[in-house]
Amino acid sequence: MAEKYKCLNPVGIQTSVDLLPLAPRLDTIDGKTIYVCINAGGDQDITIPLLKRLPVDYPNVNWQIKRKFGFSASLTEEEKKTCDAMIAGVIW
Amino acid sequence: MFQVADVEQAGIPTVSLLYQDQDECFRQAATLSGSPCLRRVHVSRTLPGPEDVAGFLGPMFDALTRPLTKEESESGRLKLPDDRVLFEGTLEEAEEFYQQTENIPSLRNNAPIALYTDGLPIVVPTEQRVQEMLKGTSHKPDEIITHQADHGVMTMGMGEGAKKGDPVLFQPVKRKATVEQVAINAVMAGCRPEYLPVVLAIAEAGGGGGFDGRGSQGYVVSGPIAKEIGMNFDVGLFGPGNPANRSIARAAELMWRNFGGNIPNVTNCGVMGAPLFNCIPEDLDALPPGWKGLNEEYDFKRDESIIYVMNLGRGGTTNIHRTEFSPGGYRAFQKSGHGGVARRLGVKGIPGPHNFLEYMLSELWAGREGGITFLLLPQMAQHLYEYGFKSKDEVYEWIYKASLKTMKEYRTHSWPDVQTNSWLGIEPSSGKPYKELPDDYMVPMVRDPYENCIIVTGGGEEYPQWLGARRSAGNLAYSIDFWR
Repeated sequence: MAEKYKCLNPVGIQTSVDLLPLAPRLDTIDGKTIYVCINAGGDQDITIPLLKRLPVDYPNVNWQIKRKFGFSASLTEEEKKTCDAMIAGVIW
Repeated sequence: MFQVADVEQAGIPTVSLLYQDQDECFRQAATLSGSPCLRRVHVSRTLPGPEDVAGFLGPMFDALTRPLTKEESESGRLKLPDDRVLFEGTLEEAEEFYQQTENIPSLRNNAPIALYTDGLPIVVPTEQRVQEMLKGTSHKPDEIITHQADHGVMTMGMGEGAKKGDPVLFQPVKRKATVEQVAINAVMAGCRPEYLPVVLAIAEAGGGGGFDGRGSQGYVVSGPIAKEIGMNFDVGLFGPGNPANRSIARAAELMWRNFGGNIPNVTNCGVMGAPLFNCIPEDLDALPPGWKGLNEEYDFKRDESIIYVMNLGRGGTTNIHRTEFSPGGYRAFQKSGHGGVARRLGVKGIPGPHNFLEYMLSELWAGREGGITFLLLPQMAQHLYEYGFKSKDEVYEWIYKASLKTMKEYRTHSWPDVQTNSWLGIEPSSGKPYKELPDDYMVPMVRDPYENCIIVTGGGEEYPQWLGARRSAGNLAYSIDFWR
């Protein structure tokens, strides 16, 4: 009968992660402050017409536009205090 | 931290715009950040922008206002089993076990991907074999791999920074690993115990996945251990045959799978993939007089061994470039000024040494920006030395100065749209906004001379290969001796 071996696990240690519910959604966007975090320079064919349409089609929203180099869709703690919702894109 | 999740967890509803083919990678990253249900809307890779926007505006606002589903309202905990012994059986049964694959629906053809390997058969990591492998280091098996120095975040905000003493979080899924787990992967790759300190240093450098989990980094050994373990410095160093060059790189790839959780189009959306790239040694003995080895460039001593992390490309894709010299053409150019290279450089009939880098200039920044990593044959390094470059630094400085392009040309490149912050940013050499610079202003394509890197290695003649810039952030040099 062939010898049996204990064979070890090559998989690393996955740190456990608490999985959280989503934030409650808005009842309406009217009168709200919505941040749009745009990755500067990428996908301008989408982001330019998007930024043009938002204030025209949704004038009752306080639009805050953040253009940032790279892959950042973050808000500062100050921005979080006044932000009601965030649109992030385009995520590469 | 996946930044969108950070905002959502602050109680602010979010919606992300992304491409459908990257949806699974987004979901995985969101899960690891604690918000598995982050809402997203798909944009198009083909529709004209205005038409695309018209189509996704409705779903985008719906994602911000539609009440949460039961699943989206739930809490939970992600925890994977971590049994030390994975399988018990005969070697034959074990070989079959480790060769398991899973089909990946987000890959066309529902292609299978190996659960524990790089797709090839492995050496079964029995407890005895792993114990034998651990004789290659003085470190304890249960020691967690930690950073031995601070390092910053890679450019473009990809990857994560870390402090000395922090555990290495292997990208993309941010698992940790012990010395024993590194040894297990080294056994599977076919390494010998004397290679283990090199593999451990590669583990400290993030394993095969590197800074951002998409790979595209190779490993270079600089220092005496390369000779000690029999690495091939010569002809064919990237090819098959040498156990150290090949198996050390394979161990890096296995760590990418088993520590980094790399699965194409699930956890890693890199485009073409970064294939096995042998771990190679720098040939310190072949350096021209006065030229530093990579170890010395990073303030280690000549007799200390390090791993240098070599930039193989971008976007999870390996990009190796080359300039071609015909057989004997380079030799004739250097010996007596014959041939097309001599004609281009205006040195026809004049014996060398000549600066062959001048011949390469037209292509180095034709469709890219940034420094150059040269894999330089000893013969060609010697020619640069004889031409007049008495140190690597002098070559780096020459390349930097040679990289100047007009602003008019720079505006026709792709990456600067992003890297200049849509041209709103400040051009470093002038201190002025890019938008204000005239067409004839000369912009260096290389931001800093030390973005360039020379690795002297290989054998034979005439084949200069070049890769992308030395990465400017993150730690690129890792002590191997620490892991002995």
